[in-house]
Amino acid sequence: MSRPTATPGFVHQMTTIARRDLLRERRSGEVLWVTLPFGAIALLLVPLAIGTDAPTLRKIGPGMFWVIVMLFGVLIAIRQTNAETTSQRDLVALTGLDPAAIFAGKGLASFLLLLLFETVLGVVAIVLYDVSPVGWVVLPLVLVLAAAGLSLLGTLAAGIVATGQSATALVPLLVAPLSVPLLLGATQALEAIRLDRSSLSWVLLMTIVVLLLAVTGVLSARPLQETA
Amino acid sequence: MTKPVHPTTVWPWIVMALAGLHTFVASMTVSPDAVQGQLSRIMYVHVPSAWLAYLAFGVTMFASAMYLWRKDLKWDRVALASAEIGVVFTGLAIALGMIWAKPTWGVWWTWDSRLTLTAIMFFVYLGYLALRRTTDALDVRAKRAAILGVVAAVQIPLVHFSVVWWRGLHQAPSLIKPDGPEMDTAIVLTLLFAVANFTAMYVAMMFKRIELARLDDAVLVAEQTGSGPVAGEAVTAPDLSGGA
Repeated sequence: MSRPTATPGFVHQMTTIARRDLLRERRSGEVLWVTLPFGAIALLLVPLAIGTDAPTLRKIGPGMFWVIVMLFGVLIAIRQTNAETTSQRDLVALTGLDPAAIFAGKGLASFLLLLLFETVLGVVAIVLYDVSPVGWVVLPLVLVLAAAGLSLLGTLAAGIVATGQSATALVPLLVAPLSVPLLLGATQALEAIRLDRSSLSWVLLMTIVVLLLAVTGVLSARPLQETA
Repeated sequence: MTKPVHPTTVWPWIVMALAGLHTFVASMTVSPDAVQGQLSRIMYVHVPSAWLAYLAFGVTMFASAMYLWRKDLKWDRVALASAEIGVVFTGLAIALGMIWAKPTWGVWWTWDSRLTLTAIMFFVYLGYLALRRTTDALDVRAKRAAILGVVAAVQIPLVHFSVVWWRGLHQAPSLIKPDGPEMDTAIVLTLLFAVANFTAMYVAMMFKRIELARLDDAVLVAEQTGSGPVAGEAVTAPDLSGGA
């Protein structure tokens, strides 16, 4: 008689879903070969529109980087809305995986992709806008918090909208305005360092937003799965 | 025997009478501001519009939470009605603020924290209304909208306290303050009357919109279950028997 298989734990379920999403990304290359170059082109276009004056570009560079990260990051966070069909969602639900683990797994995959996106785009911004990075301790923390917040927000919004004809347009409409605390936190934390002030309150704001999103996502995962 | 009058029938008439009185008091009886002149009268519509936006989105949050708890579609209809009214009055508050800002600040728009956060709140609730149009399944729509309705309410305190937390052009609260209002008594009373009038208008609009939402839902259910009238049902075959 075969022994009953133990149910995998939350972390195992989460990493399984994240691995699946990352594998799908490796096969499609959507983030690496489409969204990332698109973001880089956007950074290239801005100086052509507003002028190529070096001091001006140095001044607006950090802000432009974060705006592009937020707007194009939404595309990364919601890519699962386009990639997953209703039957695929149903199949995942039927496996008996914890809906909260599915949410966390999708969020984890988006987080890693967003971190990669931020890093590559950061280098592009440094090169094109001659920006000097500041805050070698705070900067990585802000990058991590921004990626975490945006990935959680995108995953949550994608869960709320699920699949539908207007999902591709509606998710950015929901995510973009709600990502404002993250954008403010990221830009102001680094600006505070530039001005030799404490960036703690801004980092704290981002941390609270990330925690709130994580709690909301985990709590709403089951009811949202029931409506999918 | 005369038929009893339903309160929802009388209410709009009361609101209209109050609105007429409000217009008269705000435009004729209260003195203009010493500095801003007649322009200050916009305040009697701008402030109650902003108040109504807070109230409406607060009710949306409460009704959304109640739906998630009780799973009763009547709460979903309350949330929808309130969100729609909230979006209209947020838009009105922004538009009136811009009309006031151009001659006062010299620009239609400035990147003040209150203005920016109000605009963001406007777009989030537009998204809420758009989300409701993505599916016709009543329970699915109600549950998704309820979750967003609760999450989106985080902005209400952010918008209200933004003038306290960040320095900007928009003035800090001058009516509800621990040490009393900073304004002349006549202005305060007119403003409070305007707020009461707008609240009464909100109640009247809620009655109508909730009823409309209930009828919309009934039509949807009838369409989905096939129990509604079928096109061409009223057409009957012509009588060719010649009356024989």
